[in-house]
Amino acid sequence: MPERGSLDHDEVLGRAFDRRLARRLWAAARAQRPLLYGTLALFPAIALAELAQPYLMKVAIDDHILAGDWLGLSVTAAAYAGTLGVLYALRSLEGYLMALVGQRVTHDLREALFGHLLRLEAGFYDRNPVGRLMTRVLNDVEAVSEAFTSGLLAIAADVITLAGVVAVMLWMDWRLALVTFAIVPLLAAVAAYFRIRARDAYREARRRLATLNAFLQESLQGVTVVQLFARERHEHAIFRRLNDDYRRALFNSTVFEASLYSSVEALGAVALALLIWYGGGQIGAGALTFGALVAFIQYTNRFFLPIRDLGAKYTVMQSAMASAERIFGLLDREPTIVAPEARSVVPEPRSSVPAIEFQSVWFAYDGDAYVLRDCTFRVAAGEHVGLVGATGEGKSTCARLLIRAYDVTRGRVLVDGVDVRDWDLERLRRRVGTVFQDTVLFTGTVADNVTLGAPVEPDALGHALEAARARDFVDALPRRRDEPLGERGANLSHGQRQLLAIARALVYNPAILVLDEATSSVDPESEWRIREAMQRLLTGRTSITIAHRLSTVQHADRILVLHRGRVHEEGTHAALVRGGGLYARLWELGLAAPDGTGSNAAPAR
Amino acid sequence: MGLILALAAANGVTRLGSRFAILGAGQRVEADLRDQLYAALQTFPPELFARHSTGDLMTRASSDVSAVRSLVGFGVVSLFSTTLAFGGALAAMLAVDPWLTACAMAAMPVLVLLARRFNVSLNERTQAMQEQLGTLSGRVQETLAGMAAVRAYTMERRAAAAFAEANRTLLERSVAVAAIQARFTPLMSLIAGAGVLVVIWVGGLDVAAGRITLGDLVAFNGYLAYLAWPTVALGLTLSVVRRGLTSMERIQEIVTAARPAPAEAAPLAAPPSLAFEDLTWGYPGRSAALSGVTFSVAPGGMVAVVGPTGAGKTTLGLLLARLWEPPPGTVFVGGRDVTTLPLATLRATVGWVPQEAFLFSRSIEDNVTLGRAGLDVAAAAREAAVDAEVAAFSGGYATIVGERGLTVSGGQRQRLALARALAGRPRILVLDDVFASVDTVTEDAIVRTLRASGLTILVATHRLRVAQAADRIVVLDGGRLVASGDHPSLLAAGGLYARLWRRQQLEEQIARA
Ligand SMILES: Nc1ncnc2c1ncn2[C@@H]1O[C@H](COP(=O)(O)OP(=O)(O)OP(=O)(O)O)[C@@H](O)[C@H]1O
Ligand SMILES: Nc1ncnc2c1ncn2[C@@H]1O[C@H](COP(=O)(O)OP(=O)(O)OP(=O)(O)O)[C@@H](O)[C@H]1O
Ligand SMILES: [Mg+2]
Ligand SMILES: [Mg+2]
Repeated sequence: MPERGSLDHDEVLGRAFDRRLARRLWAAARAQRPLLYGTLALFPAIALAELAQPYLMKVAIDDHILAGDWLGLSVTAAAYAGTLGVLYALRSLEGYLMALVGQRVTHDLREALFGHLLRLEAGFYDRNPVGRLMTRVLNDVEAVSEAFTSGLLAIAADVITLAGVVAVMLWMDWRLALVTFAIVPLLAAVAAYFRIRARDAYREARRRLATLNAFLQESLQGVTVVQLFARERHEHAIFRRLNDDYRRALFNSTVFEASLYSSVEALGAVALALLIWYGGGQIGAGALTFGALVAFIQYTNRFFLPIRDLGAKYTVMQSAMASAERIFGLLDREPTIVAPEARSVVPEPRSSVPAIEFQSVWFAYDGDAYVLRDCTFRVAAGEHVGLVGATGEGKSTCARLLIRAYDVTRGRVLVDGVDVRDWDLERLRRRVGTVFQDTVLFTGTVADNVTLGAPVEPDALGHALEAARARDFVDALPRRRDEPLGERGANLSHGQRQLLAIARALVYNPAILVLDEATSSVDPESEWRIREAMQRLLTGRTSITIAHRLSTVQHADRILVLHRGRVHEEGTHAALVRGGGLYARLWELGLAAPDGTGSNAAPAR
Repeated sequence: MGLILALAAANGVTRLGSRFAILGAGQRVEADLRDQLYAALQTFPPELFARHSTGDLMTRASSDVSAVRSLVGFGVVSLFSTTLAFGGALAAMLAVDPWLTACAMAAMPVLVLLARRFNVSLNERTQAMQEQLGTLSGRVQETLAGMAAVRAYTMERRAAAAFAEANRTLLERSVAVAAIQARFTPLMSLIAGAGVLVVIWVGGLDVAAGRITLGDLVAFNGYLAYLAWPTVALGLTLSVVRRGLTSMERIQEIVTAARPAPAEAAPLAAPPSLAFEDLTWGYPGRSAALSGVTFSVAPGGMVAVVGPTGAGKTTLGLLLARLWEPPPGTVFVGGRDVTTLPLATLRATVGWVPQEAFLFSRSIEDNVTLGRAGLDVAAAAREAAVDAEVAAFSGGYATIVGERGLTVSGGQRQRLALARALAGRPRILVLDDVFASVDTVTEDAIVRTLRASGLTILVATHRLRVAQAADRIVVLDGGRLVASGDHPSLLAAGGLYARLWRRQQLEEQIARA
């Protein structure tokens, strides 16, 4: 039996900042580069306008106010007003463009991720809970887009402003400037110290979040079970633990930011004190004007502002890197089941070739726990075959192999005489239509669920519903075919869901139809009617019907009995019953009442 | 010099402390909210789940909860410090020169008006954005969970197109939010700057006229500068607060709908009888699913409910377990109206095996125990006739099953769900079509075991041979009880049951021919 081990855990990841990763991120934003450059182009203008303000202040104080020149003062004030207007316009534009870049990167990455997920094979989904994948598509993508807006662009803006401030300060009074800068090496030391400790905290936080979301998502799906068994408190305790783990990881990841922020603020205050102490002396000595000191203090504030926020930006970049690793990790996970590009053939169905053929198929979901062992059978074109066997024997597995949801371990599966691995996947799945044991319905109307969004004549839809015996109940719904269905068809009875799934397969209209327990929850009368309708619809087509209720398959042209991973018996119902094998035993049992009180059911004997 | 450094260090430490406190508080609030949300969701009745999709709820538990964290962490602190800065600076400015203060503050009323207008439209757009995020998550969630169908029906392209559309709408709505923020946020620094402008000009003239000294003007300007950052930050703060409040509303909507979670309780001591009396009930917005249904099951007895698809068999079980609330005085367990029984007692008494078995992606053992202590997992598995298969898995009971139990076969899943119910030793067992994916041999073994166990059993089934093993058969059609009795009497009465039975006979005869 398959060894299913534990579910895939999020891989342990590589280094904190990865140049390769940064390059890929940059490449991912390719489409947004004109916008990025446009935004970058705004920065020098913004920096210029910002830097002009303290200088205008200095001019106003030193040249006009002290000189009592009111005309000059008015002109300077007008210039100041001008910078304010320009700044407003530029900042609005900057804010809008930044958001646009961020949102578009998010949009593009989401699209890429979702598209990729659609191509991944069934085995991948066996191991990766939906909630965890959703975290990638929703949260991780957002973190990455922040790398562009709050990270990259903001850092660029800061660097430009910083360079401007430094230049202006040096130009105005290099000695005073050096007093301010004296504090910088200390800052660098502080930053370096915290950075080392920040390393893995970010990844840990992302990982915990994914686990938390996966648990939450599953809880939402299984809530009825929890309620039925009054396990609310137990589940809540598990959730609380996961939630707490995440909170702690999140807190650890922000320690760095908080420490740096506070250190810079404290050091900034030191710098300011130094400045006033030293500058005051200079003014007294007549080496500095009053206006210059005022302007200098303002420049010093602007100098520390970006440095103070550096921690926040580092956090953004780090968590973006952690998310990017996870996103690219997923994007790099190539689907293992793909159509061969060059060789994919479109076979012509010929009656001389069996529609379906299993040639010594061995198959295991995991390791060497084989479900099918040397399984061989053929279904001729136009033949209707029943497939039976005890539960867990691998009937559904056969249906999955047929549409190449999984690849066989050994042997071959042929459809229309061609190995499924040589088929174009989409064509194969158009040829073989399957109604799975687990009915999947989506939110949407009844009609949407049956047509799956394909354009279908209302008539054809009506016929399919009729043949699937779904018409009566659909017409009794308040909005009939436009009745909205809940998630997974929650507002229908189980049998009704199955009927819709059958109608869906009929609309899909495949040449080969596989029904895996398609009528297991349908009453015998409806089932009988459906079979009648199907017999008309299926003439000339090939079908495989999987069922436990032998009455479902007894009319088949041939019945295959699966046992121990291979076809153990085959033949018509009558022949198998006469043969006295496994099938005959199942059949006899089916006639007796299950508590062994004997059979009321064999009047024909 | 040493003093400065000492002061700076002290300053740094207090700042660090307060920042950690703030961050920690925000994160704690976030965790608490998520916790409350989860607790509420656990107690949600089905009608609320019909109103909110999984994607919607997931969005509330992640995106909305983080928005509230920002509100508490950044928003509140920022509001607080803004108020402090305003109060302090304003007092200092007034002390220097009231007239100048009035001039510098002249722009403030404009700010307040603008902020209010902005708030309204930002709120609307944020709501719209969050809703769309919920829609998008719903899409992703449903598609990924339904991948088997997506693959089999080659729906990939259509799924991608539907996603692209939802994604585009989300982009538009997010950009609409950004557009308003881009217009508003810089407005704050414009207004702060206007104050400085007024001070330079008006104050400059005053100094020139000798009304105030230059020192006063510079000091005044310094105080005003204290206001600049909080004013600028106010824009950001307001949008964070707005978003946080919007999200808080969305979370409260869920949390306030919570019901108390039942504690663990012992099963009812009274003899486990079961009765429905004139039960009429319908799903909201639909016609009645059950009309005037009356029947009972004696302690230790077995009653089978049969009837066409959609007849109301599952609905009976749902009302019995009070997943949907039955009208008072219609459903009785051990002689007591279920609506008056504590939920915990009811659910300990009744073991309900749903038609669609659900397994968690945990080990088989955890799936059977669900964390209940002291259960005999192996015995339960044996009674559910799934022990041999579990033993054959390489991990045995520790084998972890995939999401929704999709890595075990359909029949294995159903029997594990049965084992889960049996493990809790309920006194009444409700089996909803649980033999649908089980072969006859296995079915036989299970029915025998259950009959011998002395449990009161209500079984809904499409398999007439299972029905035949019951003491009594109840036939439902379109929500009405159309016949009841044991197998021979129903055959003799010649109604729906007899017709179904004859259909089966006919097939057997054809088969034998
Ligand atoms: N995705 C999977 N990963 C690992 N093992 C699986 C997976 N799906 C099925 N199995 C195992 O493979 C075996 C065959 O399963 P399959 O679903 O084909 O049985 P089946 O004949 O359809 O049974 P049933 O009648 O109960 O539906 C079972 O033991 C099951 O546990
Ligand atoms: N959540 C719901 N909201 C609205 N209507 C519902 C809901 N669940 C079931 N119904 C409707 O109530 C009726 C009875 O459903 P119920 O599930 O009880 O049928 P059932 O007898 O169990 O059928 P089946 O044999 O198919 O399982 C059906 O017409 C169904 O469409
Ligand atoms: Mg199966
Ligand atoms: Mg039902």
